Amino acid sequence: MTTRSTRSQRRRTVVALGVVLAILGGFIVRLVDIQVVSAGEHIEDSLVTALGSSRPLYGTRGSIVDETGQTLAGSILLYDAQLDPSNVGAITRENADGKSEKVSWPELAAEIGEITGQTAEEVQKVVDDARAVDPDSQYAKLKRGLSTEQYRALAALGIPFIYFDPHPSRTYPDGAVAGNLVGYMGLDGDALGGLEQTQDDCLSANDGKVVYERGKDGVVIPGTEVATPAVDGGTLQLTINRDLQWYLQQLIAEETQNQAAKSGAIFVVEVATGKVRAAADYPTVDPNDVDASDPKDHGSRIFTDPFEPGSTFKPLTAATVIDTGGQTPLSTVFAAGDEKFPNGAKVSDSFDHPTHEYTLTGVLIDSSNAGISKFAERVSAQTRYDYLKRFGIGDGSHIPFQGQGNGWLTPPEQWDNQTFYNTAFGQGVSTTIPELAGAYQAIANDGVKVPLSLVESCTKPDGEVADPELPEPTRILQESTAISVQQMMENVALQSTLASQIAIPGYRIADKTGTGEIAENGVYKRGVYFTTMIGFAPAEDPQYLVVVTLNEPTRVKSSAANASAFQKAMTQVLKTYRVMPATSAPTVLPKFAE
Amino acid sequence: MSLAASSTLAPARRESPVRRLRALGAPARRRKPKVLYAIVAVSGAVAIGAAQMALSVLTTQGSYQIAELTSQQRQLDWQKQMLYDDVAGLSSPQYLAANASALGMVINESPSYLRLSDGAILGASQAAVGASSVDAIGRGAVANALITDTPLVTDPDATIQGAPVVPVEVVPTDGTTDGGAALVVNTPPPLTDGLPTPSTH
Repeated sequence: MTTRSTRSQRRRTVVALGVVLAILGGFIVRLVDIQVVSAGEHIEDSLVTALGSSRPLYGTRGSIVDETGQTLAGSILLYDAQLDPSNVGAITRENADGKSEKVSWPELAAEIGEITGQTAEEVQKVVDDARAVDPDSQYAKLKRGLSTEQYRALAALGIPFIYFDPHPSRTYPDGAVAGNLVGYMGLDGDALGGLEQTQDDCLSANDGKVVYERGKDGVVIPGTEVATPAVDGGTLQLTINRDLQWYLQQLIAEETQNQAAKSGAIFVVEVATGKVRAAADYPTVDPNDVDASDPKDHGSRIFTDPFEPGSTFKPLTAATVIDTGGQTPLSTVFAAGDEKFPNGAKVSDSFDHPTHEYTLTGVLIDSSNAGISKFAERVSAQTRYDYLKRFGIGDGSHIPFQGQGNGWLTPPEQWDNQTFYNTAFGQGVSTTIPELAGAYQAIANDGVKVPLSLVESCTKPDGEVADPELPEPTRILQESTAISVQQMMENVALQSTLASQIAIPGYRIADKTGTGEIAENGVYKRGVYFTTMIGFAPAEDPQYLVVVTLNEPTRVKSSAANASAFQKAMTQVLKTYRVMPATSAPTVLPKFAE
Repeated sequence: MSLAASSTLAPARRESPVRRLRALGAPARRRKPKVLYAIVAVSGAVAIGAAQMALSVLTTQGSYQIAELTSQQRQLDWQKQMLYDDVAGLSSPQYLAANASALGMVINESPSYLRLSDGAILGASQAAVGASSVDAIGRGAVANALITDTPLVTDPDATIQGAPVVPVEVVPTDGTTDGGAALVVNTPPPLTDGLPTPSTH
């Protein structure tokens, strides 16, 4: 071992080590570059390279179900078919006998058209149009919204240049049943009306995605799958009963036609809970075929259209004077068919009569405007206004409905001499069906006002149940007042001119009519009215409230037009909910002072 | 390796003047390496390799199986969707009511109840006479686009709209390309021999 050889050996070792370190350094730099510096770019690259593939995972939009869980709106898949014009041409395929045959493009177009409902020319035109715009076009829309059956039939043709995209869509198994409430969706999956729109947060799903790599034979390579799961929408349960809703829609359609009215509605509320059990509008929309109906009929007039109530306000005035004015159902006034009041206001009844000594009950039975005006004088304007506000007039409902209208109540300081009286019998004010039903719900519920609700709950796929937020029930009348008004309304059902038309054998019912005037461009229309009948049953223990309205009935122009619809609707409600017939007799109150 | 190499080179540095020479003890006798360890190590490595291979084969096979089942599931999904489309709307109240009306059933007016405890009849107990309170077939007013053209089970000449069914023109097909889709009728077959009963043993 000489010094020289030792040195050269050491040098060699150093050089070798240097080379190794240099290579190692190079690798480290590259590694950091790949894994850290341009990691994002590479991940993106890996997703679009030939092997990488991904597909969307569609979440299912939640269904809308009725009180009993029956589906009112559900989700299905429809398919969009596209052609690749650059590849369109004759194809060779196996026929039924297993022999290969050549099929020309026009023949294929005819086969496609037979399934999609287009003519062969239309199918060929799709391709020709796409080629005219771009000779190398690879994309031409053939038809949207194909059913699964059509999609499979097209796929079975074995045509290589036709592609399909599934997209979630909506179906309404019951058609127009509750179509006015449920609403509808656009072709692109946007909620366009009704609860589909207002409850979209509950119903809508979040789409997910699965990313994977495929082998040459199309099989997913194990371990390459990365899935972001889709989140399905929640199930929206309504308080509506679909069988009752169907019957009432059929009924109001027939009655509106019988009375040659412009439109009609029936609204049913469960007294104890404020739950809306049916809300039937006519004319209305079939969400399966929205374009088949007039755009004006796509919503729900029940919620959107305020109207002048007329005499259905009299029981509200009566409740006010009993609750705070010391009156009773047997308190009396002297009233003639035409009354002139000291302040100059004039009030007339709908029929001529001499001066009677009416009880408060009698005023409601004969629906005397003059009589209720004289009772209304016994409390201040401010008190009457406050009570109407407590009943919820002018405040809409707590049901979040697209385009919901509000009634209108003039503040008492702006009441003129005539308005002071007119308000007592529902003239010069406006309200909506939910507002009016809400007010009567309080009367029927012994004075406790429970906010109306249309949505029972929203159940998310993870089981989380969300109930709608509603204010607490509030007592707005003394219990004794409410019971007095119930009794008086039962006597209206027993003793008014419509008594025989609205009687339901075996049951005790209570009702009140209203014939409201219709203002158009600030002027009242002559001879046509917005008629209402509102009532509840059983009168001895009110459980269900029914409102029937007709807009401009022309066969019978007064609220008598509503009698048949009200009687049938109430009968069906009592049957649907198995309400037992009465076992007690009503208390008959006198119409006039004895 | 490089560390081991440098330690074997260390004795070459003899020029260090401060080091004193001293006698080393006799080196410990090297133990004979046990063959068992070698066998364990090698067979372990082989086993790991084999297991990995087996697992990989199994997962690959599994993924073929998954692919097959997925395609089967897709077929079944399509079938389910087609069947669902076929019966869509048949459960709707207007279809049921129109069918019942076609049989001559009426919607009775006020109900009566039989109380079981004492046999008392509650209610007005009137017989259903005359017309139904609504005319579900003659004046069907609640539309359903899903079953507009679907004949009623109880009256094949009527639909929920009451209108006569437009006769479907059957397009003669040459057998090679049966359109299939167009000819399926959206109605269950009428029951001729009463309700079907399952045969049990």
